[in-house]
Amino acid sequence: MDYSRFVRLRKPLWDGFEERLAGSRQREAGYEALEEMALGYRQVLHDHALAASRFPGTAAARRLQGLALEGTRQLTGDRAERSGLLVFFSRSFPRAFQRQLGLTGLALALFLFAAAWGLALAVLRPALGLSLLGPRAVQGLEEGHLWTESLVTTVPPAVASSGIATNNLSVALMAWSGGVLAGLVPLYSLLLNGLMLGAIFGVTLHYSMAGALLEFISAHGPLEITLILVCAAAGLGIGRSLVAAGDRPRALAVRETARDALAVLLGCLPWFVVLGLVETLVSPAPQIPFPLKVLLGLTLEGIFLALAFRSVPEANR
Amino acid sequence: MADIGRESILGLDNIRLDLPVAGLGSRSLAAFLDYLVLGLAGVAWLFLGGLVLGYLAPDWFPVFLIFGFFLLDWGFFAGQEIGMGGRTLGKKALKIRVVTAEGGTPGPGALLIRNLVRTLDLVIGVVMMAIDPLSRRLGDRLAGTLVIHDRRPETGPVLGRVPPGWGARELAAVEAFLARAAELEDRVLRREMADRILARIRRDAPEMLAGISADAEPVAAVRRALQAEEP
Repeated sequence: MDYSRFVRLRKPLWDGFEERLAGSRQREAGYEALEEMALGYRQVLHDHALAASRFPGTAAARRLQGLALEGTRQLTGDRAERSGLLVFFSRSFPRAFQRQLGLTGLALALFLFAAAWGLALAVLRPALGLSLLGPRAVQGLEEGHLWTESLVTTVPPAVASSGIATNNLSVALMAWSGGVLAGLVPLYSLLLNGLMLGAIFGVTLHYSMAGALLEFISAHGPLEITLILVCAAAGLGIGRSLVAAGDRPRALAVRETARDALAVLLGCLPWFVVLGLVETLVSPAPQIPFPLKVLLGLTLEGIFLALAFRSVPEANR
Repeated sequence: MADIGRESILGLDNIRLDLPVAGLGSRSLAAFLDYLVLGLAGVAWLFLGGLVLGYLAPDWFPVFLIFGFFLLDWGFFAGQEIGMGGRTLGKKALKIRVVTAEGGTPGPGALLIRNLVRTLDLVIGVVMMAIDPLSRRLGDRLAGTLVIHDRRPETGPVLGRVPPGWGARELAAVEAFLARAAELEDRVLRREMADRILARIRRDAPEMLAGISADAEPVAAVRRALQAEEP
């Protein structure tokens, strides 16, 4: 087939496909329109292959390459993953959470190990408290006050809530994204948080203030620690897929793990906002009885775990 | 398969499709523009909050500020790319766009993933793009995305008839000449080039010049002889 005949015969088809592409950019395409577009795309791809081999560099070949690229962009992609919030929280999140259960267990073990280490250090060497909490907080402890009281006395609760929520969100996001450095950042985050919690608890034990600390963290602590563990476990998962991809190509392993890890992260993020409010409005409030704070903490933890462990049939991947 | 470059993908029916991958230069420039807009958005947020909320609800001003900056920090790029089909304002200005490794439209998940590691990419992204033939930064590798030049299908004069014996090189050269002839400022050179094409037509297919006056403007004569038309 010569060039002019090829162009004359096939040009109406290319024009039609270009019009359909432009139309689908402006409105959602129906089933029939999509079917027509898919057929046109196939024809354009074949014409592109012919033009690229027989008439490379010509205007027709360049136009066909542009049409084929635009058609590929519009007709292929990740649209299947677009789902509503309800579907996400009731299916995608539990599924992703349960797939990384082993890593969450590992994260818990690392956290507990670091916490025990921090506790032992602080009990055996109380001077460590000075370096961890700072002289003002220690002075407060000596006078029988927790440093956490200043959370609501120095700034309005709304501001403190926002600050705490965004800070916790940033910690979770960094622990997650740092997974790409072979899992070192989530590992550091887990060990540091565990060590700090254990050491602080040890220091408050030394000043007979551990009960007050327990009361303060009882409403928000259980879920906050769980969320940090879960996000760090997602980051560890990314790191593991990078270091040990198994029998899959590394790029594919990382991509698949990152998608699951993202679902886990997105399922955790809204809870940090709730915890920000609890940490400033409920945790430091002396008028709310300790058992009620414990009940709130356990309820929040229970709701999160019930959602995460919800039984969902495994989707085809 | 051996001659397929790394920027090529195999589409439907194993048809090779070359992706015009955006390099380090255009991507860095787009990022620079985006960070400029981000800085302006931050300042605007501060003033908007200061003027409006400072007057209406001063107690909520810091909350607005804290959440605003957090959203700008973590959501500015991802939000734009999800809302504008893989483009940010900077990418739009540079005419580049994010696509999947298969050339398709990336979903919100992939766009979120590639932007969540942006902080790390500020440190190692440039080096990674420089050493990768597909100019992928860490976020691209994690999300399975590429950034390509957003070329709309080209339009240019297509020859309606072709003298016998002309191959793809001649066709491409004549079409390129006709597409750019109006922009050539050197009229003498333009005429010279058109005359050379006319001479080739006269040699290979003199019948195509029938009915065209010898005094006709050469570019118009080439256009008429080859029935060049806009596609």
